[in-house]
Formats: sequence, C-alpha cells, structure tokens
Amino acid sequence: MGRHSRILAAIGLSLALVTGPALAQQSGGTLVQVTVPEPPNLASYLSTSGPIGQVAAKVYEGLIDVGDGLTLKPSLAESWTVSEDGKTITFKLREGVTWHDGKPFTSADVQYGIMNVLREVHPRGGATLKVIEAVETPDDYTAVFKLSEPAPYLMISLNGYESPIVAKHLFEGTDPRENPTANAPVGTGPFKFVEWQKGQFVRLDKNENYWQEGKPYLDRVVVRFIADASTRTAAIENGEVHFGAFGAIPNIDVPRLGEMPEIDVTTKGYEYVAPIMQLQFNVTKAPFDNPLVRKAIATALDRQFVIDNIWFGFGKPATGPIHSAFEPSGIFTTDGVESFEVDDRIAKANAMLDEAGLPRDADGIRFRMIHDLTPYGEEWRRFGEYVKQVLAELGIAAELRYEDVATWLKRVYTDYDYEMSSNWLYGLPDPVLGVHRQYHSNQIRPGTVFVNGTKWSSPETDALMDAASVENDPKKRAELYHDFQRQIVDASPIIFMHELEFTTVHSANLKNAVMGPLGVYHSFADAYFEQ
Amino acid sequence: MSGRIAFILRRFLQAIPILLAIIIINFLLLKLAPGDAADVLAGEAGSATPEYMAELRAKFGLDKPVPVQLAQYVGRVLMLDFGYSFRHDMPVAQLVIDRLGPTLILMVTTILLAVGFGILLGLLAATGLNTWRDNVISILALVSYATPLFWVGLMLIVVFSINLGWFPTSGMETIAAFHTGWARVLDIAHHLVLPAITLSLFYLALYTRLMRASMLEQAGMDYVITARAKGLSERRITFRHVLRNALLPVVTMAGVQVSSLIGGSVIVETVFGWPGLGQLAFESLFARDLNLLMGIFFLSAVLVLIVNLIVDILYTLLDPRIELK
Repeated sequence: MGRHSRILAAIGLSLALVTGPALAQQSGGTLVQVTVPEPPNLASYLSTSGPIGQVAAKVYEGLIDVGDGLTLKPSLAESWTVSEDGKTITFKLREGVTWHDGKPFTSADVQYGIMNVLREVHPRGGATLKVIEAVETPDDYTAVFKLSEPAPYLMISLNGYESPIVAKHLFEGTDPRENPTANAPVGTGPFKFVEWQKGQFVRLDKNENYWQEGKPYLDRVVVRFIADASTRTAAIENGEVHFGAFGAIPNIDVPRLGEMPEIDVTTKGYEYVAPIMQLQFNVTKAPFDNPLVRKAIATALDRQFVIDNIWFGFGKPATGPIHSAFEPSGIFTTDGVESFEVDDRIAKANAMLDEAGLPRDADGIRFRMIHDLTPYGEEWRRFGEYVKQVLAELGIAAELRYEDVATWLKRVYTDYDYEMSSNWLYGLPDPVLGVHRQYHSNQIRPGTVFVNGTKWSSPETDALMDAASVENDPKKRAELYHDFQRQIVDASPIIFMHELEFTTVHSANLKNAVMGPLGVYHSFADAYFEQ
Repeated sequence: MSGRIAFILRRFLQAIPILLAIIIINFLLLKLAPGDAADVLAGEAGSATPEYMAELRAKFGLDKPVPVQLAQYVGRVLMLDFGYSFRHDMPVAQLVIDRLGPTLILMVTTILLAVGFGILLGLLAATGLNTWRDNVISILALVSYATPLFWVGLMLIVVFSINLGWFPTSGMETIAAFHTGWARVLDIAHHLVLPAITLSLFYLALYTRLMRASMLEQAGMDYVITARAKGLSERRITFRHVLRNALLPVVTMAGVQVSSLIGGSVIVETVFGWPGLGQLAFESLFARDLNLLMGIFFLSAVLVLIVNLIVDILYTLLDPRIELK
C-alpha cells in the first residue's frame, strides 16, 4: 500500500507540474477540529474513549501504523520480524526520534510503556497485551517481545490510538493513573501539546523535530468543543471549524452540507472501529431463551428501511457478528450464514412465533415486553419506535424505556435486568478484541461494560474462539471464524441490524484529512490546506 | 454602621450550618442515581476488564459504604479540600475556578442587561398605560418570555453569524488568534454579544412585566395621592416615590434569579459553546463525577448566599425604613 500511494503521489506531482503551478502540499495554516463531547483528559494510555483518541492521536504514536485494508505500516518501529513459533517479535526501532521535551526515544520507553503502563492501566491492555511476558531491550533501538502464546491480533493493536507509547522518564516511579501528562501529553507525534482551556479548546503546535521529513504541513491544530449539534453545523458552515468526525455534524445536516462546494463529506476512516448496530437479548429470560422467538424478530425487521429512514442512508445491512471490513483478510463470510432478508417478513415471523408456541390472546397479543434503548442519541429512539410498530404486527406489545448512560449500562451489564436492548459495539481491528467479548462465556462479567451482556454461553462457540485466538495460519483462522459466524447467526442471541457508517465533514480545501482506517484516530501528519 | 457589620458577621455564621446541610442533602441525593463514575468511564472506553473496573472503584473510594464516603467527604470539605476529579485528572477546586470567570462574565452581563432594560421598559410601559407604547412593550415581553431559549440562540446564530457574519457562532475567544491585553477584552466582548442577548431576553421580559405591575400597584397607593395633593410634578412623583418603592420586588426577584442563572445558563452555554459552570455541571451529572458536581453545588450555594446578603443590603439603600437586624 505504502508503495502504491507513493507512486500515486509521484503521478499526481508530475501531473501538477505539467498542468499548473500548484504544488502537491503547502505548508502552514491552522486546522480547527471540532470534537464532541469534550474529553475528560488526554490520557489515551488510560482510556480508549473516543474524544480522547481524537486529540491524543495527534500527540502520541504507536510502534506500528494501520494502512488501508487493516494492513500494518511502520511507525516508531521501522521493521519487525515474527519468529517461526509466533512467540517472539523483534522490533527495529526508528533512530533519531525525540520526545516533545527533547529527550531521545529508545527501546527503554517501549519496554516501560508496554509493561508498566499499557499492560497495567489500559482498559483493554489487560486483555490484549497479557500475552506479552517480557519486553527485552538488547540495545537502544531493538525491542524484543516475548509472548506466552501466539497472538495473531497483537500486532495491529500496537497502533498509536490503541497502544500509545509514553515516555519512560516521565512515568517512571509514578502511578500512571495520576501522571500530570494526563492533561498535558508528551509524545513523539507530529503535533506538540501547548495548552488546554477546559470547556473551550486544546491547542497543538507543529513538532519542528518530527521524524517524518517535511511533515507535518500544518502549523497548528486547535480542537474545539461545542456541545450543541446545531451550533457545530453553523460553525463548519461559517468556516470557523474545518473538520468534524464521528457524528460531530449530525446526520440530518450532512446531505445539505455535502452539497456545498466548500465542504466535503466522507464515510471513510471508520474501518478500524467497524461498529455494528444490534438488538441484544437477555437469553436467560423467557420467551427470549427460545432461538425461534429471537429469529422471528430478526426476520420481521427491515434493515434497509431502518438505514434509509432513520440513519439518513448511512449504513449497510449487517449479516452476522463480524463486520464486512474483515472481507480483505478472509475472516468475513456470508457463505452458509442464515440470512433474514426475506420478502414476506411479517407473515414468516408470525409463523415462527406460532411454531414457538406463543399464541395470540383475545386482544391479539402474544406477550408483553420492555424494549430498552441505548442512550446514545436520537436515532436510537426513532429506531425503538420503529421496532415497537413492527413488534405490534407480530402481536408483541412492547414498551420503550430510555435512561441515561450510567443507568442503562448498569441495567444491561451489571443487573442483566432487561429483555431486549438496542446497542452498538466496535468490531475493532481483530475479532479477538472486538467480537469475542460479546460471545465468550468467560466474558459474562457483572459490572464490566460492553462484554457479554446477553449471558449467551455455548461450549461450541467458546471452543471456536479459543482456537482462533492462537491460530497463526490466516487460512485456518478464517475457517474457524466462518464456522463461528454460522453458529452465532443460527442461534441469534443478538440481532445484527446494520454496520453503522459515521461521517467526517471537512472543508473542501483541507486535503489528506482522513488517512487510512483509523480516520480521526490518526494524526494530521499528512493534512494540508490547498490555497 | 456597626449594626450593619454585626449583621453581615451573623449572616456568615448562619451560612455554615446551611452549607453543611446542602452538602449532605446533595451527596445523598446524588447517591440515589443508579450507576457510578466507573461505569461511565468504562462505558466511554468501550471496553474494560473486571480487574480494571474494581481498581477504578477502589481508587474513587466507591467500594466503601455510603456513610463512610459521606463522612470522609464532609471531613475534607471542612478543611476546604474539594477533592480530585478522577475523570478530569485534576483537582476539583482548579476545574471550578477556571470556569468561574466565564460564568461570572456571562451572568453579570445578563443580569445588568436584563434588570437595566427590564426596569426601563417596565417604567415606559407603566407611564404610558394602555397606549401603543405599553402595548408594544407588553407584547414583546410576552413573546420573548414564551420563546424557548435554545431557539432564540440558534436563530440569532443563523441571522447574525451565518447570514450577516457580524458575530462568531460560538466560543469565548477567537481560537487561532491568541489575543492579549485590550484586544482580548474586545474579542471576548464580541463573543459575548449573542449569548448575553439570548439569555437576557428571557429575564428581560420577566423584569419588564414585574416592573410594570409593580409601578401600577404603587401608583394607586395613598402616598401618591398625598404627593399629588401637595402639588408635586408627575415626574417627581414617578422617579422620587413610585420608582423607589416599585424597585423592591424587582430586586428581590433578581436576587433569587442569580442563583437560577448559574443552572439556567446550561442551555445558552451549550448552544454558544460558552465555557461556563452550567455545562460542566451538566456533563459531570451524566458522568457521575460526584466530587466535581459537589464542588460546583458548593460554589453555587456560596454565590447564592452572598447574593442574598447583597440584596438585603440593597433593600436598606432603597428603602431606609428597612433595618438590618
């Protein structure tokens, strides 16, 4: 990929030289990004919270970078080799990289950052990095990871958003949870942290000593926080803001803004998070302990209707627990996976409910239920209203319940006090990170959020996941996941609605703003304003 | 004069048990909300291990029984230590003080605009009772009172920011400019115009109607007839006698509303991206950041007590018959 883009850039450059005086990249300018909500801190080593990543990814870097198609690209590590048995990974680190405070970056930082910070305090680090038994540092620019077992998912999670490398000299001897860099990060990235006026903005200035020659092109990045959606739209329309991602500009305004010549819209840059919108059941509660009932509801819902009418056309029908972004790696399949896309939805679903032994009473009602709505915005409310109408056609009387985030999380992931809830989870760049947590029986962990909230437990799918997490042969691994997709959809503890598409809205003269699957979780090293 | 100082001192002493009660009631009320800060932090992170959640709760002190948490909190507050916001990784005192400035700028401007123009318009309406002047003012007051704040704010943005381009849409300062000195003051004032107008329109309507009613009520009093009988000019009656008496209810109302302004400005702060306390409180409630929320409540309570004291002193200036005891 890297070579391709270089060739393309070369072609572009020569075309530019032939056709006009415009140069490919122009230096200078201040980019104003709007992020919502304001992050509580900038400690991306402590939290994977989206707003934190949107800002911190400009300052921190990882050992690797993620390229198109979820491929690995060098970053702080120039190159790496994986041993035959998959249990030793040797990284050759880049020389001449300095921290923003001027100290040199060495293998000691990698060792300390991985073993003492990320493995200890990162919310996913305990799970993802636990296979790393030791990081050896034979010299300043070599880091050797010793793993307890092969971990095919490990490499991609070493990117700057997921596993930012922090400076040993600033963390050594302190509690990483109370490190002052939480509000004033010091990294190796293209932009240096300057100041944070809480409630207003974060200012990041160009790192003059950045290791990528000539980059970044921008002089400054300012991240603003505007709580009101309509005001954010007004600010980008007015040119006060140049860039907003992850629904910062509400979908309802996006088509209109997209038609303006000075504004561009893209749905690229979300392949890394690969979110799927779902309806999940508490599979221990009757009648939802019966797969036939769950599948009847899955059959009745019209996914394309939901995308077109509630999500303003942004989305793609989902077919199973694994996002179609995994198609290039061969993990994703629809082959042999049951499809709920049928013509006479309501009739089929009613027949299934009859078969399940749930007759209608005198009022035409089979049973009553409560549908909990995930509290992440207006669309989910409207989706709940749609589901309620469809369920009524099936003879199911549903009541909608909408609570705030903390209450809802506790209900679903601590008390399991629900029957059916809408929800959406990131697929993340490997199923071990993003998918297993929802289905493995060892992920039924009261009090821990976004894990197995359905209480689904099956020795067969557990075995498939266990095997896939240590299988280093990509082909065999893909087959394990194909089986997994068939079994999960056949049981449908979760109804897969659609793959959410987020939009990034930016000024048309801002180029290279979205680079690769990390999108806004990437630095603006390549971004520039075309004058 | 010494009576006044004694009065102020006594009020300060009375404030201590009141504040203590506010702290305890707030703390218990907040504890009634389901879910805690660890849930929210992990929820935002998208995933977390159980060990991580347990560690978070232990670190926030959420693993202890509620009475112990309360006792520890009150103990700390008595030492003027408002604790640490784990969410922001910053001491609460610093977070709150950073936001106090912008809140006060918006609050004071709004109160001055609303009370000043409210009194003026109410006076104009009352003195021209049932004329076109009175009708126009009354209708305008009714309309602006009945219009939702967020809508007024957004419409002002559409007209004055997007279409006319006179004012910025949001924020307190021009971000990329980093002005200093007088340039900064002017810049902030420029950003202040729309939010202050939006917020004061609502209160302006209230004071206009209150002032008008109060003026009309006073105009029917015996002392006005007496004044007229002894041959004073209408002008002198209005300004010397009626106005002073009519102001009392308005001042009372303003005192009460300063407190609600801190909370009521959440909407305006949100629409205009103004970095005030209301927004911070709003976010912390949903994040279950109790330390921070309690800090904000404490500060609001102190502000309310101070404003009430000022109002009581203002009474004596407006009406010398009222004594401070």
